[in-house]
Amino acid sequence: MGDVLQFLAHWNLLLPLVLAAVGIWLLLPRPRNRAIVWGALCALAALILAGVFWVRWENAVSPEVVLFYAFSGMAILGGVALIAQKNPARAAVSFAVVVVNVCGLFLLQAAPFLMAASIIIYAGAIIVTFLFVLMLAQQQGFSSADDRSREPFLASFAGFVLLGSFLFVLDRTFPDPKHFSEFLDHLELAAQQRTVTEIKATLGDKDEVLNRLQREVRRYRGTEEGIKLQQGLDDLTAEWNARDPSEKEFQNALATIVDAGRKIEERNGRGNVPAANVAALGRTLFSDYLLAVELGGTLLLVATIGAIAIAHRRMERPA
Amino acid sequence: MIPLSSYLIVGAILFVLGMIGFLTRRNMILMFLCAEMMLQGVAINLVAFARHHGNLHGQVFTLFIITVAACEAALALALILMLYRTKKSLDVSLWQELREPGQEAILDLDEPVPELPREEPLPHLTPSGIAPPQKREDSYV
Repeated sequence: MGDVLQFLAHWNLLLPLVLAAVGIWLLLPRPRNRAIVWGALCALAALILAGVFWVRWENAVSPEVVLFYAFSGMAILGGVALIAQKNPARAAVSFAVVVVNVCGLFLLQAAPFLMAASIIIYAGAIIVTFLFVLMLAQQQGFSSADDRSREPFLASFAGFVLLGSFLFVLDRTFPDPKHFSEFLDHLELAAQQRTVTEIKATLGDKDEVLNRLQREVRRYRGTEEGIKLQQGLDDLTAEWNARDPSEKEFQNALATIVDAGRKIEERNGRGNVPAANVAALGRTLFSDYLLAVELGGTLLLVATIGAIAIAHRRMERPA
Repeated sequence: MIPLSSYLIVGAILFVLGMIGFLTRRNMILMFLCAEMMLQGVAINLVAFARHHGNLHGQVFTLFIITVAACEAALALALILMLYRTKKSLDVSLWQELREPGQEAILDLDEPVPELPREEPLPHLTPSGIAPPQKREDSYV
């Protein structure tokens, strides 16, 4: 019973998921009784609730936030249209919508070359080839393949259980940045105390604080701030376990941690990507990944030859 | 500022939508498009991680994903074309004799597809009178 209550306490995670599962289930193609309006309403409500509950951003509304919402919302709507569309040609066009919006997200994350490459390759080449094949395989009216979906209920249920577990893990791994900020304030307050006993009293339970810090260190491992955080944590642990701790050392350790933590907060979990994207990407490709580039080229060649060999219509000779 | 986790959520949603589409749709081309959408979700994750760590390895990975997806598209379209020539349909259920032994066949028993309204064939007029004599061509070039 307690477990159930604990499960239901994540209602802001569950409510959009359930709504979206119902919406997708109603929207998937079927020959009769397809409640498109209800399905679309459910899916839209789920999308809006997800945008309210799941996305975290700093209090100010910046162009980045607006663009993020626009691109991701359009991408998800395009994805729903892709799986709910009976007409395969329209589905291919909605896939192009997904690709274009994902490219917008790439641009928001400082990847302009990838944006251009995806638009040219996906939205240009692949979609056009798909439409060619669709035209070659011209079908008369609706076929039972486009008009039915296989196990729509089970598939949407399984899909949203998977999404729920993704979101749960993400929620656990990336807690709200506000918590980290409060924790740093707490440490700063402790560093201002005069005597060791006061510091310890302000910090609270030893294991709790050290474990919390250990988690933060693990999250930012490998970065400059992470190394500083590790140093501060080591000092703090040594002081806490020492027979005769000095308040000076305590304060120094706490100051190191708070300093590194504030820097992490400022960076907000993002590193600096080189500004000259194409040049830097080329340098990385042809130095670190040279072998992979060669293999990729070979793969393209082999795939081309394979595709020609498969699709070639062999002329049957008269016997 | 949008933190990393929000981008990961968008990637996860696209991935799951692609998975649902791949499991339910029966048109081979649509199944393939859904698989490509799953790849898009993964690409968002990789680019977001590249930004998070401040290096370009994630973007390079995405570039390789695009390469492999292009190869995959070429091969899959060639295969789909061959399968279409054999069965004259894109329905993947027609190939279910390739299933594993011991699996039940999937039959569409419950909901019949409604018949499309048949177009009335154009009226066929009986030729009246005598057909004029036509000169036979000697050679067909």
